[in-house]
Amino acid sequence: MATEIQEIDLKTDEMIINMGPQHPATHGVLRLLLTLDGETVKHVEPVLGHLHRAQEWQGQNRTWFQYQALIDRVDYLSGMFTSWAMARACEQLDGVTVPERAEYMRVIVSEMNRITSHLLWLGTYLIDLGAMFGFPFYPFREREKLFDLLEEIAGQRMMFNYIRIGGVLRDPKPAWFDKLKAFLDEFPDRIDEYETIVTQNPIFLKRTKGVGILKQSVATDYGVTGPCLRSSGIDMDLRRTRPYSVYPDLKFDVITFDKEGDTWDRYMARILEMRQCVDIIRQCVEKIPTGDIMGKKQMAGMRIKAGEGFAAVESPRGVLGCYVTSSGGEKAVRFRWRNPSFCNLTILPELLKGCPLSDIMAIFGSIDIILPDVDR
Amino acid sequence: MTDEAKPEETKSDAKPEEVKSEAAKPEAKPADAKPAAKPAAAAAAKPAEPAAPPVPLEPAKFGQFLKEHGISSERLPDSCGVETIVVAADQLEKAMRLLRNSSEIKLDLLLTVTGVDSADTFDSVYHLWSYSHLDQLVVKVLTKKADVAEGELPAVPSLANFWSAANWHERETYDLVGIRYSSHPYLRRILNPWDWEGHPLRRDYKQLVDALNDKNPHSMR
Repeated sequence: MATEIQEIDLKTDEMIINMGPQHPATHGVLRLLLTLDGETVKHVEPVLGHLHRAQEWQGQNRTWFQYQALIDRVDYLSGMFTSWAMARACEQLDGVTVPERAEYMRVIVSEMNRITSHLLWLGTYLIDLGAMFGFPFYPFREREKLFDLLEEIAGQRMMFNYIRIGGVLRDPKPAWFDKLKAFLDEFPDRIDEYETIVTQNPIFLKRTKGVGILKQSVATDYGVTGPCLRSSGIDMDLRRTRPYSVYPDLKFDVITFDKEGDTWDRYMARILEMRQCVDIIRQCVEKIPTGDIMGKKQMAGMRIKAGEGFAAVESPRGVLGCYVTSSGGEKAVRFRWRNPSFCNLTILPELLKGCPLSDIMAIFGSIDIILPDVDR
Repeated sequence: MTDEAKPEETKSDAKPEEVKSEAAKPEAKPADAKPAAKPAAAAAAKPAEPAAPPVPLEPAKFGQFLKEHGISSERLPDSCGVETIVVAADQLEKAMRLLRNSSEIKLDLLLTVTGVDSADTFDSVYHLWSYSHLDQLVVKVLTKKADVAEGELPAVPSLANFWSAANWHERETYDLVGIRYSSHPYLRRILNPWDWEGHPLRRDYKQLVDALNDKNPHSMR
């Protein structure tokens, strides 16, 4: 007797699940309200603000000098960039000329910071995907070496307060550059190591290839920037498209892919960016001139000329902008941050629509947001 | 070294010519063309230009473009070399659509929406960039405090219905500065808790609840 297969249309109700805020993979405290139909995501609503520290309010109620020290905490994985954005905005207003050696130092330390940020992303992203076998410690090993170098010149491991309005804090000794060079010689081999484990790993490919494709039209509509945008084929990198500091003197290309990128492409974009950073730092170490490192006197009662200005830098996550209004006093009238994490997170509901529950973390992790940067 | 020296210089080179050609066309007094060109040329060297000139400035590139499409705008002194215009609230949506979609302007990257509680106005400030070229523009919508009724929030039309980038920024501005973006699809507090009272970046803001030792029994915190 032939068995008859009956297809029964099992209907499921939509279910609302609360993911986070204490979920280990949400990189901080983010709460996602998921509306699920079985295993399929129908709708996502991110609930923010668990790490809100009123950074903009602080900007209006602290002196310029005090606030400089605070803003490294906005995005604690790439503190150099927030400092740099603020410094650039204030220098524009004040008409300060930054010495060339300081500009080179800024590029060196922020590119180092970009590597550390991408390394942390690489390690935690693999944990997000379930790779609990110890891989995350490899990137963290190199990250610590960089932090040792940064600590030597800035005095702090992550909250540097190194880039100041008008220049940089300290001039490193020649021995520091030797240590940096030694690291740069070794680091590309380490990236090869990561790639051997990850890039063509069949499990990794299964989890990331063809998952979470970011369309160009969506990306531009939501104002996405950074590696997410470039891996989707739009070549916008402030270091090239609106060159600032000494980037015009350095040779490097914008890393873009020629198709609309998926999760794997966003991974690859960051790996390539790390290799590029090594190249940029090498050029800077060779070219760096001698001279002064500070163009404005650092003191508690520092004032910035009246006016309003907007400056942006290319942070590891995208365009980090700072809009500042000054009335010429000891404090700012208004500080406003354009945080790449905040803007990039807006595409999450769009990317997650219709994907299975298990892909949420693969997609979410690949956008590389950091919650203190979102909530400020 | 000013970091954005290159784009600014090219811009300020281009501006005086544009202003002159514009001044030849419309009815506006041609004698004023020179004072209008001055801040643009000075902007590269001296960014802050605090003294507002009494004569209204001639529209520059984007102001002129909007004027050709029937949208009047007022030009403010440049902010660090970037053109700054004020648009009336009821024309904001039309102006933004034009600036974003027209193939010649194409300012298609909305960087931020900022709310500012100024002395006698509530400003909603839009920073526009482009993905493909170097132009930038600052658009402001000013709502006079005298026009806002007691106990109500100043209203500005929302862009979120056709420009998704504005969505969260407008929610944040509503949350922190208290500007109501009318016709916003989901105007809800985003950084503060949903039951927060007041708007923290207002000048007259007083914190009603002790956030650390919350005694309010109805609070969700």
